[in-house]
Amino acid sequence: MVKVLLHFSEKIASQPITSQVIIEQGTTINILSARVDQQGGEMLVEIPDEYAEKMIEAFRKKGVKLEIPKLIEVDKDRCFDCGACVSLCPVKVISCGEDDSVVFAEDRCLGSTCGLCVDACPVRAIKLVL
Amino acid sequence: MIKLVESKGVEVAAKEVDVVTTGTLGAMCSSGAVINLGHSDPPIKINRAWINDVEVSHPGAAVDLYIGATQMSETRPFEYGGGHVIEDLVDGKEVELRATAYGTDCYPRTRLETTLTKDDLNQFYLLNFRNCYQRYVCATNSRDEIIYTYMGKLLPHFGNATFSGSGQLNPLMKDPDYETIGVGTRIFLGGAQGYVIGEGTQHDPSNSSGTIMVRGDCKKMNSEFVRGASYAKYGTTLYVGIGIPIPILNEGLAKKASLRDEAIYTNVVDYGVPRRDRPKLRRVNYEELKSGKIIINGKDIKVSCLSSLKGAKLVAKTLKSWIEDSAFFLTASVERLPRDVSFKPMKQTKEVTFIESLSHPAITCREDESVKAIADLIIMHSVNHIVVVDEEGRLKGIVTSWDVTKAVANGKDKLADIITRRVFTTKPDEPVEVASRKLAQHGISALPVINRDGKVSGIITAEDISKLLRR
Repeated sequence: MVKVLLHFSEKIASQPITSQVIIEQGTTINILSARVDQQGGEMLVEIPDEYAEKMIEAFRKKGVKLEIPKLIEVDKDRCFDCGACVSLCPVKVISCGEDDSVVFAEDRCLGSTCGLCVDACPVRAIKLVL
Repeated sequence: MIKLVESKGVEVAAKEVDVVTTGTLGAMCSSGAVINLGHSDPPIKINRAWINDVEVSHPGAAVDLYIGATQMSETRPFEYGGGHVIEDLVDGKEVELRATAYGTDCYPRTRLETTLTKDDLNQFYLLNFRNCYQRYVCATNSRDEIIYTYMGKLLPHFGNATFSGSGQLNPLMKDPDYETIGVGTRIFLGGAQGYVIGEGTQHDPSNSSGTIMVRGDCKKMNSEFVRGASYAKYGTTLYVGIGIPIPILNEGLAKKASLRDEAIYTNVVDYGVPRRDRPKLRRVNYEELKSGKIIINGKDIKVSCLSSLKGAKLVAKTLKSWIEDSAFFLTASVERLPRDVSFKPMKQTKEVTFIESLSHPAITCREDESVKAIADLIIMHSVNHIVVVDEEGRLKGIVTSWDVTKAVANGKDKLADIITRRVFTTKPDEPVEVASRKLAQHGISALPVINRDGKVSGIITAEDISKLLRR
């Protein structure tokens, strides 16, 4: 799966672009998070590897800007397993491990479309990175 | 200990166990360090001083300073503070000191700048006036916005909950009647040996919320257990690792020390209400809290600990190994922590002013009216805010004179297109300070007042509040 962040400008925000691309390309995508209104917005999607190139091209043709999203990076030396971030994570990326360690499953992170945990870390161990 | 009491009973456990070690590693805001700089030449009687741009207070004679954990850097507020200065010094890092003075005949110097490490200091003692709460509440948030508190970031509509303390590992919970803990009790403090020097401020034994005052030599501490921290939009603090050995002198102590998480209760409290007495939503035990999920209003809410449970276990384990290696000897306290004091609220000489006394009727309209009609209302009543309501008087939105001006400039004539629908509101029984913060925080100039029936009962404006201040 390839994680891609779609940017919809105000001009195209009211068009059913995502549905069109799905129908045209004949494959499904996984929408992880979306924040789109009449002023435009962003959608974080996962596209199956084999369709990635064609789907990305199709979105581009319809005026959608695409980028690889920023994800979180955790500085394990700074983190001291306090847990301030755990209850904030909406997708269970952050959890408490067996030995009470705070565990991050970074690959499922919504990255810059969420970012709720980043400023909640008391020792600034979580960063958004490309 | 817990397992032993359960399998073999209190009697056997009391005979077999000599000491139970406890631990916690949490944010303890009422922490700080006393330092002595030695005298400069010519000497200075410091009036104000800063270390790494964090103001440190000058509580004593010429060159004694107190680094308070929550004092924030003047150049990097909310990011760096007194807690970080203490951590940096403990870590052996060099810090920058700046000081000013008025100058006297015996202390002529008026300015000072130098760099320091812990080795340059005469004394460097952690002196924390309130640490190690016996238990603490679990915090959540009923508001429709994120709030940033000393209990961390709390999501809207009970979106999460946080708690603090290590429950069954919590030092004061294992000796809840303070039979062994008191003045002179030797403890694990920040990775070194320290002492309890008395009860902490706000010590509240009748509410199972005892606290301790502690002292320890920072030069021997380890920054793994003394960590500067910052809570976004709240401020800075210090995480402190504290462990207390509880000698099992009798069966009573064995029984108390075997208390489990499931028997230690606290309250889930709504931090969305910024009052001294915040609404208690339910009782919860530490076993539930540690499960990561609690139920509030029939809904599963994610809950997590702000203090490090892993760190707490490491504190207790480290203390255990010190005792086993004869590197730490237990002391008998010379005076028990008091059990007959209470924690009083503040005496206030001025009464709180509530919105009720300031609120006046709002000029209202319906959603289907024209922009022109709203402009007429604004002029007729000489106001800047028109509250949009439905037929039952429930809030639908707000329109300001600025919105109307903009609509005219852009040629819009439908009210529905210019209404602000996400409206911040207040209540008749809300203190004026709370409403005033809402205005400032969101850069707005009025708040509709919503009564108990959910209907608009009036409005207050920034102007009303400034008039109140001039009274």
